[in-house]
Amino acid sequence: MPRFRSASLWLLLLALLAAPSLCGAREYLQVFVTEPYLELRTGPGRGFPVTQVVPRDESVDVLKRRTDWFKVRTERGIEGWASQRDMERVVLADGTPFTFPLGDRAGFTAHRLEMGIFMGDYGGATLISGFGSFSFNPQLAVELSVGQFLGNASNGTLVDLGLTHVFVPEWRVSPFVMLGTGLVHVEPKATLVMPPDRTDQTAYVGGGVRFYLTRRFFARAEYKSHVVFTSRNDNEEVDEWKLGFAFFF
Amino acid sequence: METGLRVLLLSAVLLLATGCASVRNWLDRDEPRAAETPAEAVFAESGDFDEPPPRVIEPEVERRRIKVPRIDNENIELGGVFGALSVEDFGTNPVYGITAAYHVTEDFFFQAEAGRSIAGRTSFETLGGDIQLLTGDERRFTYYNLALGYNFLPGEVFLGRGLAMTSSFYLMAGVGSVDFAGDQKFAVSFGAGYRVLPTDWLAIHVRMQDRVFDSDLLGESKLTNNLEANIGLTVFF
Repeated sequence: MPRFRSASLWLLLLALLAAPSLCGAREYLQVFVTEPYLELRTGPGRGFPVTQVVPRDESVDVLKRRTDWFKVRTERGIEGWASQRDMERVVLADGTPFTFPLGDRAGFTAHRLEMGIFMGDYGGATLISGFGSFSFNPQLAVELSVGQFLGNASNGTLVDLGLTHVFVPEWRVSPFVMLGTGLVHVEPKATLVMPPDRTDQTAYVGGGVRFYLTRRFFARAEYKSHVVFTSRNDNEEVDEWKLGFAFFF
Repeated sequence: METGLRVLLLSAVLLLATGCASVRNWLDRDEPRAAETPAEAVFAESGDFDEPPPRVIEPEVERRRIKVPRIDNENIELGGVFGALSVEDFGTNPVYGITAAYHVTEDFFFQAEAGRSIAGRTSFETLGGDIQLLTGDERRFTYYNLALGYNFLPGEVFLGRGLAMTSSFYLMAGVGSVDFAGDQKFAVSFGAGYRVLPTDWLAIHVRMQDRVFDSDLLGESKLTNNLEANIGLTVFF
């Protein structure tokens, strides 16, 4: 039995050792340099030094991408990072330009996914929230936001799901409207009489603006008017204001 | 009446004309049509029948299609941290946490982190003998934080002659909450870190952060500074 175990351990070790070489067998995209030379840096950033150049007509394999930098390997097996701006000028083996998604104004106008974080006010309590959205087209997106509010009288969490409509997506400052539904969980703080925690359904309508900053970044400010469907006689109305940073990809 | 008749006749003529045009090819189907051989037509017009018509070369080489493989995007960084957290008035204790970051550009990244520590005893409790300010559960210090980071000083570190690793000094600022002493408080955090990458996908972090929140635990409301120093290991995906 111990022998069997040690054998299986060796097998596992072999498998682990073989795994990277198997992964290395994948095919990489080969691109050709058309400018006089392509600069390669030691790291994915403009602060890292240029240590290699690839002359015109030589090829490089594109290994991976991090933010706006591509890790490439030259014909001689040297690896380095090339900038997005330089990679826009390389070509594929058939002479067509190498294209890839960019973080620019066009991307801001039409993108699939966006995510961001907010800070704000929810009915007088401090609100921290994050959101993610999926766009069907440049104007219409479905959006999920999760938040936590921390106040003097109560703490709680809220989840919202709804639709967002951007009027003119190509504007740098573009207004939008929102409509949706959600849940709010309220935990009243300890007082003499301890009311129980409660979870209620909500509906909201709101609006805001998004402001393109640079690259993949934009700022977002929004207002939501929530109606909380309580189990009491009348519904509650809660205002939510928030400001945050977001990015698209 | 006269106008109606004229319209009727005109439409009959129109119908006949279009009908003839459409059945034009029914009878002389096999004869080549002039419109289909423009080169010959041109020669016929110029009256030059001696020279053979120029041959149009049909390229038979198929255009090479390049299949562009998906390029691996490695912008997400996941990992764990371990360190020491000084909870104001409650001593310094071990803290462990998880961290996730998305690198948007080479300069900026979004970071989410969560961690937990167990606060110690205040000096009042230590000196006072049997006094317990908090129960065991209330001593749990749990936090989460959403932050924006800025890679401030990118560079390289050199280990000996043959090994160079990329590194970066970064700044972070964020908002989040702290769950401590039976209450959850809004917290602001800021700090700095140093990231060294032995390989492209592995990073070692050394970080120092301050988590600031308002506490009224000891009678009066005051702003508490809770310093945390930790070492982290993250993997890029």
